Formats: sequence, structure tokens, C-alpha cells
Amino acid sequence: MIKFENVTKRYPGGTVAVDELNLTVPPGKITVFVGPSGCGKTTSLRLINRSIELTSGRILVDGRDVTSVPAVALRRGIGYVIQHGGLFPHQTVIDNVATVPYLLGWDKKKARARAHELLERVGLPASFAKRYPAQLSGGQQQRVGVARALAADPPIMLMDEPFSAVDPIVRASLQEEFLRLQQELGKTIVLVTHDIDEAIKLGDNVAVFAEGGKLAQLDSPARILANPADEFVEDLVGRDRGYRGLSFVTAHDLPVHPVPTTALGASTADARAAVRDQRWVLALDADRRPLGWLDVSQSDMDTVDTVESAALLSVGATFTGDSSMRRVLDGALASPAGYSVGVDADGAFTGAVSTAEVAQHLASQDRVSVEPL
Amino acid sequence: MSIFAQLLEFIGDPAHWSGPRGIPVRIFEHVWYTALSLGIAALIALPVGLLIGHTGKGAFLAISIGNAARSFPSLGVLTLLVLAVGLGLTPVLVALVVLGIPPIVAATYEGIRGVSPATVDAARGMGMTEFDVLRRVELPIALPLVISGLRSSALQIVSTATIAAFVALGGLGRFLIDGLGVRNYAEMVTGAVLVALLAIAVDLVFALFSRIVVSDGLTGRAPAPSADTDLAPATTH
Repeated sequence: MIKFENVTKRYPGGTVAVDELNLTVPPGKITVFVGPSGCGKTTSLRLINRSIELTSGRILVDGRDVTSVPAVALRRGIGYVIQHGGLFPHQTVIDNVATVPYLLGWDKKKARARAHELLERVGLPASFAKRYPAQLSGGQQQRVGVARALAADPPIMLMDEPFSAVDPIVRASLQEEFLRLQQELGKTIVLVTHDIDEAIKLGDNVAVFAEGGKLAQLDSPARILANPADEFVEDLVGRDRGYRGLSFVTAHDLPVHPVPTTALGASTADARAAVRDQRWVLALDADRRPLGWLDVSQSDMDTVDTVESAALLSVGATFTGDSSMRRVLDGALASPAGYSVGVDADGAFTGAVSTAEVAQHLASQDRVSVEPL
Repeated sequence: MSIFAQLLEFIGDPAHWSGPRGIPVRIFEHVWYTALSLGIAALIALPVGLLIGHTGKGAFLAISIGNAARSFPSLGVLTLLVLAVGLGLTPVLVALVVLGIPPIVAATYEGIRGVSPATVDAARGMGMTEFDVLRRVELPIALPLVISGLRSSALQIVSTATIAAFVALGGLGRFLIDGLGVRNYAEMVTGAVLVALLAIAVDLVFALFSRIVVSDGLTGRAPAPSADTDLAPATTH
């Protein structure tokens, strides 16, 4: 647990970077510091490992004042990940990862064995061990940065904009993996980002910082979307917060229903008969996995005898009971047929739901009752 | 007879290859003055360069003093010192060390300052002491520049070490002074050519040294990165 008590950071020029901050970072959870630049979120993070020294107040890590421990010893017990990874360019990946074990005086063999284990953990093949950072892509470097921070198994991790320097696709996959890793490890994590979407996606708790180093709101992501504390937070989360709030509602009890289906190679006449007066039929493969939508009202349907994959339109994102309602609704909105397609754990078709049905289901639910912190 | 032929004749004479005044002894003396001066210059300049590079403090002062020292004519410094302390190796070494220090300080400082602040931040954040940061991170990354500083210092010293002969010491400068004394141009050219060859040899030694000690991760010799692909597919949510 990390506790900020009346923490202030004032620079000699008089600039106040952090103003009377009171905040508790619960153990085993991800707490995200988010806000515009100059709001003191990075400064607050760096006060924890004393990369910056505070002016007044105190910070307790597991009940111990950080200033009562030598900075070097304090930092060896706290994982640290920064933007671009901050890898040591002259060292191989394996030696980068083994940095803190080396500093702690582990013997080389043990340190490297541990580093190998961590590379695997963050999804990098063992063949990367002997590469240098310059030989890795941005996303791969960031994984090495995370592995390095985890090497001595610190209970706490500080992450400063860890996913900001990579392209959106790589970022999304790194975020997913990060959440998966955190599920296994259960570290106490403080993560700084300027991206509210990232904060909402990753945080168990989100601390919204306003300019001048003040805490505007500390809450769960769902509650920040549902009940912004003030206009500043509301502006920051943006106008489509209602839609984004659906990220926190699962499709568990969403009713689905069958739709007409067909298979590749089946006769188009049969497919048309199956849909009767409707337009769309869903093509499934032999394992009942959805392949695509077929529009039987197309003018050239008469000239085609069988269902061909070339004629199918994308099903888009499918959902399971664990998926968010945001995904379900997006699937329905993006689908040419107007249906979001549900599948089971094996990917087999379970049923579909239309945009209107999703809306009806949401309206019938009491969605404001998100659990308080 | 062309100067080139005279040169070959002088070098080809076996008498010039033996005895205490022979070419091998002169080369050895020259290398000895150079190595000694470079060693002392490095012992002084490296810590200064590392310190001002790491702390960022005192850089202006140190570089300014270095540049001023660089502009002293070595022969003048030598003459002054001989007048002050008398003949011997010391005045020669001091003159050469003064010449050798500035390039090492400047290059080491530049090398350390050139290390990415993010890398240094990460090193501190991992719990490295300031000395660890310098030894494990900043110095290895600055090494290519540090070595290039040593290299230019060595080249200046090698070519200037001829001044030892002005104060009755040995080295390749002897051929220049002695040759001048008796108007033996072949001998002078021999001295000049040998100094030039020695400089090239020193340059090669440093190039080789740099290749051996600088990490492949810094030189771009390691194979190019693979395409910017991510390894594990994103899981659905």
C-alpha cells in the first residue's frame, strides 16, 4: 500500500507541481494517475521512489516513510518502467532484465535464469536474450522494460507512460498483456498516462489530476464515467462517456436469439428459402463458427448457385458472455445485418442480437449501481 | 638523387638499424614518451571528464582551461620548463601531458552528456548508486567518444614527441634535429616519415581497441531489427 499524506512539491522558483495530495494506492491493484500535462501526475509518481524529493507531507510505502530508507535501497524494491523502456543500449536483453538482481548481488547464473523466466512471462522468445535493444521494435523494447522491472519480484511497480511510445495496435496488445500479467502477479501498480482511455481500460482505480497538482477525483473507472466529480473531470472523460461506460457492463444476461444460417457450398435457393422475407443469412463453417453475412437480396443472387465465401460480408467482432456491452453494441452497429453475433468459448455461434435489442436490454438495467470503492 | 631515393638509402643502411642511435631504439624511445604522456594525461583527464559529464558542473571552466592549454605552443612550454627545472624527461612529459589532456576531457564530457536522460533515469530508478550509474551505464555508452578522445590525444602526442630531441633526449625527433645539424636531408625525411608511420600505427591500434571494447549494441554492427511486429496476439475482451 502506498499512502500520500498532505504531499506537496514546490520548486525553488515557486511553481507548485503537487499541491497537498492525499491519496491511497491499494495493494494488488492498478491505480492510474491521469491528467493533462503539467498536472503533477508524473511528479507524484517520481516522489514515490524519490527520483524527486518532496517539499512537505509524507509518503508511506507499506507503512514506512520513504525518506526513512536510503533512496538506493528503496528503489531496488520498487519496479520502474518508463516511456521508450529506457533500456541500456550497450547491454543485451538478458543483462538488461537482470539489472536489479545483479545490483542485489545475485550470482550471474541465478540472475540470468530469472531473466530468462521473465522474458518468457512477457511473451518474448528465448532467442531474444542475446539481442541488443537497437535490434528490437518499440513494443518489444517495452516488454523488456516490463520484464526488467519485474526481475527482483518487487511488490510495487511504478510505470511512467509505459505504452505511449508505440503505435495504437501494438499499444492495445501490450495493454491486454499487461492486464493478463497483472492478473497472475497482483502487484501494487501506479501507472501514469495522459490518455484517459488508457486510464479507464487499465485502472482498478483512476486518480484524475487537475492543473496545479490537485487531485480532482479518485474513483473506479466506471464511477468516473458515470459520476464525474466536476466539470474538469467531465471534460477530460469526454462526451461519449455514456457509451464508454458500457465497457464495464458484461453481456452475461443478454438474451440472444437464432438467425437463419447456411454453410459454404450450400445452395443459394435453400438459403433464400431459409430467410423467407428477410435479407440476411449467416454463413457458418463445419464447427458452427460464423464466417460472414450473405445478403440474399443482391441482384446477382439468381446467377449464383452456391454460397461462396467471396460473397460474404464481415461478421465483425463477435462476443461471449464475458464481453463488454460496448463490444456487443459496437458489433451490432458495425454489422451490415444490424446484428451482433454471439459465440461460445470455442467460437461456435450461439445467437445474435440487434442494435434495438441491445438498447432495450441496457434500458432495463440499473447501470448506475456500480460498486463504490 | 631524389629525396625518395635518399630516404630508401638511409633506411636501407644496416648501420642505421643497430646501436643506441639506431631506428629501432629511436622508435622505442618515441613510443615510450608517447605512452607515458598519454597515460598520465588520461589519468588526469578521464576522471575530470567523467565528473563534469556526470554532474554537468564545472564543464565551462574545464573546457575553457583545456582550450587555453591547447593553444600553448609545446616547444615554448618545454623551453620554459627546462629553464625552470633543468634538462630531463620531466619537462618533456609535462609539455606532452598538457597537450594531451584537453581532447580527452572534451570527448569524455561530450560522451557522458550524450547518454540519453531516459537511460540514466532508468538506471537511477533501478536503484543504482551514482557510481554505478557512471560505471555501468554512462561510461560504457560514452566509450566510443572516450576512445576517440584518447585517439586524438595520442596522435597529437606522437607527432609532438619529436620535441624531446630538442632537450637532448631520444625519440624520432633525433633524426630531425641531427639531420638538420649536418644538413642531412635524407635523415630528416626519414625521421618525418617514421613519425607519420608511427602515427598511422597508433591510429590503427585505437581503431582496433575501440572495435574490441565498444559494445555491439552501440555500433550498429549487430544485425538489423526485425520488422515492427508484435509477438503475442491481442486477446479478445
